[in-house]
Amino acid sequence: MVAEARHVTRTFPMAAGAVTALSDVSMTIEPGDYVAITGPSGCGKSTLLHLIGCVDTPTSGSILFEGRDVAALTESARSRIRLTRIGFVFQRFFLLPMLKASENIELPQSEAGVGVADRRTRTRELLDYVGLGDRGDHLPSQLSGGEMQRVAIARALANRPVLLVADEPTGELDETTGEHVAALFDRVHADGTAILLVTHNPTLAARATRRLSMKSGHLVA
Amino acid sequence: MQCPCHNPRVVAFAAALALIGILDTAPDILISRQLAATAHLAVGDVITLATTPTGGRSSSFRVAGIYEPTPDPMRFTAQRIEGRMHLPDLLTLVTDPHDPASADAIGSINVALAPGTDPAAFAHDITAGAPTVAVRPTSRPPQDDPFAVLDRFHLAISVVTMFGATAFLLALMVIRAEERRETVAILRLVGIAPRSLLTSVAIEGLMIAIGGALFGVALAFATEGLINRFFQARYDTALVFIRVTGPLAMKAVAIAAPLGVLAGIAASWTLLRGSVLALFRR
Amino acid sequence: MTPLQLAWRTTTRYRVRAMLAIAGVTVIGALLFDMLLLSHGLLLSFADLLNSEGFEVRVLAREGFARVPIPDSQTIADAIARLPSVADVAQITLTLAEGRADQKPPRRLTLVGRALSTTRDAATGCEVEINHVLGRALDIGPGSTFRLTPMPSADAATAMPPVDCHVTAFADFGFNASSDATALVSMAEYRRLVAQEHVDAEVILVALKAGSDAAAVTREIGTLRPDVHAYSNEEVVAQFNRNGFAYFRQISGVLSALTTAFAFLLIATLLTVSINQRLGEIAALRALGIARRRIAAMLLWESALLVGAGAVLALPVGGVLAVGLDRILRQMPSLPERLHFFVFEPRALIVHIAVFVVTAAAAAVYPIWLASTLPIASTLRREVI
Repeated sequence: MVAEARHVTRTFPMAAGAVTALSDVSMTIEPGDYVAITGPSGCGKSTLLHLIGCVDTPTSGSILFEGRDVAALTESARSRIRLTRIGFVFQRFFLLPMLKASENIELPQSEAGVGVADRRTRTRELLDYVGLGDRGDHLPSQLSGGEMQRVAIARALANRPVLLVADEPTGELDETTGEHVAALFDRVHADGTAILLVTHNPTLAARATRRLSMKSGHLVA
Repeated sequence: MQCPCHNPRVVAFAAALALIGILDTAPDILISRQLAATAHLAVGDVITLATTPTGGRSSSFRVAGIYEPTPDPMRFTAQRIEGRMHLPDLLTLVTDPHDPASADAIGSINVALAPGTDPAAFAHDITAGAPTVAVRPTSRPPQDDPFAVLDRFHLAISVVTMFGATAFLLALMVIRAEERRETVAILRLVGIAPRSLLTSVAIEGLMIAIGGALFGVALAFATEGLINRFFQARYDTALVFIRVTGPLAMKAVAIAAPLGVLAGIAASWTLLRGSVLALFRR
Repeated sequence: MTPLQLAWRTTTRYRVRAMLAIAGVTVIGALLFDMLLLSHGLLLSFADLLNSEGFEVRVLAREGFARVPIPDSQTIADAIARLPSVADVAQITLTLAEGRADQKPPRRLTLVGRALSTTRDAATGCEVEINHVLGRALDIGPGSTFRLTPMPSADAATAMPPVDCHVTAFADFGFNASSDATALVSMAEYRRLVAQEHVDAEVILVALKAGSDAAAVTREIGTLRPDVHAYSNEEVVAQFNRNGFAYFRQISGVLSALTTAFAFLLIATLLTVSINQRLGEIAALRALGIARRRIAAMLLWESALLVGAGAVLALPVGGVLAVGLDRILRQMPSLPERLHFFVFEPRALIVHIAVFVVTAAAAAVYPIWLASTLPIASTLRREVI
């Protein structure tokens, strides 16, 4: 098992009163899974994704990542898991604007201690993998939205994670570009990486091998 | 008959009479607050002043009052251990008995002129008639006034500080302009005239600059007392070191205001003048 | 990519704000550097001036530096000259005088009488060394003659008659202000000019043999003659530091503190605003697993680059500014022409660097704290909205 959520609840204290974004949610992700979570805005999809992605910790219940209770770990340990075992893809890409595409992909490798030569080799592979072999020296401002998202996916795969976590990866893209990105996710899945993604896009969701639906903080299917 | 001098009561009475005699005949002296504090003196005390370190040629004086010396910015670090007495008393004290001429020698004469009299011309006339005497108007011409020099020095420092502050202000305004790049692009796209945007930017810069200047002036007023009290205690003086005046505060705001407007306009110039589509590019 | 490389890329991406920040730090840094120069500059210059005269000890009649005749100065000078560490003793007295030359308006000057223990003091006719100010005022030089009228104190028995004096050389009087006119004669000639058989010196200057300890000689003189006051050059400088230098020490301290605070505020505000603009980016980096330590290092380097560039540029700018400020302050009346307020010493440079290192670190503290503690999930959510 890659990740497991056991009776997880997440409550956010607000000035106007506490808000329960997730309520008693349980799910598992196995190696090679392709899980899509759908639901209306504010139903808790992203919150669940953040918890499984070790970006956040539950108010109650537990999140296990490769058998380890995430909440019991230090932030440094969680950071290490995010760096080496999980890959993140964001709706707004969040590429560093002052780094070239290749440098954005090298960044997590550098953090993980990968040597220069190995980083460069891996980066070239990933750029070819996402179909941007000739765009490595371009800045994000010189790339289209779809190209930026492909670079972001390459960055997420840089340290060969067991789980790729994507939050609305096609949210800022047009339909055609979204299709290209969706095809890339298929390829990643086919190569053995587990994927957990959150999306409003029914076409993208349809490609997943398992679809979960959320409503008002609960899993409904 | 027993001599009254053997009677203790008589002796005490005689000593008291002698003391009263001294008190009655001792001339008055005013001493500075600093001297009174250092020597633990009070009004009414009788002190002895001597003109030599060994106590020679001494006289007694009665402390008639304690005064605060007029602060002298040229000597603000000096301990004002001083006193004032009538001139005849001073001459009596310092006159060298072997030099009769010293009874008629003084160090300086202060002259108050009739209104409208030119001090420099008066000084020249005196010097012409008594060339061995140094005559100096108390109000110095600017070229002889060390405080005029300090004034220029402070002004130079202020100008330099303003340059630094302007760079700071510009940097902040540039960041703010960059933050609103998209907003400005949308407004221009929907047809809001650059002049209207320029006006709002200028007003914003003006408000920041005036707000900052007023804050600075308030800080200056607030710290004025602290700084004066600190240095007055440090140097034991009544001198006022800093005085923030209304005109000075207005001058500060009057300089800050146009700087703020200019900084806002300069920082937003490319947003308001450049291509709208270029503003949407990342 | 190292934190320094990331910081460099960020700085160069936001070029305009970086340049403005560096410009602000440069100007303020220049002011700080100048205040550090000012904090000891006057003392250093004063000490140099004292030491350049060639005399290490000064003897006066009274405590403090008021000039009054030293009673029996010749005897005292002879006794001091016999001390084993003493190389030479000069007796100095001064009075006002007036000089006249053909077609030129009369010029007030200071007439200095000097007797050296190592040279014979004889009146050989009025042979005078003058300074360039007097030379220009009366258009005279070595070989010229001018009329000198001494104007001693008011208790002189008679008015002094003018004397024709022969200029033998130009001399440099270290403590002269730029407008001071001065003439130097031997003490014997001085006595003749002021028509006094006996003139006591107002100050006795003592030159020591190489390797001698001025403080020890000062104590020896104090033991030899308790009725006078001897000061080594160090003691004179220390007195000057306590009294005459107080204003400049205070203002340099106050302005140094203010400029440091200003630089700190400038960089801390810019970095904080910059971080707030990039919260999404930073949250994404944290989500990707980039350690807080690395992000903190990147921010520290950003601060260091801005502050460091400004601090380095501040040195030449401060140098030019110091020349200008020195020129303003040297307009003070009666200031020795060779006295300077801003004098370079290595200590000023070391303190300047140290202050900016601390400022760069301190300015990054709050932005680092912001970046390190930002809640990743909610920041990502907010950035999407």
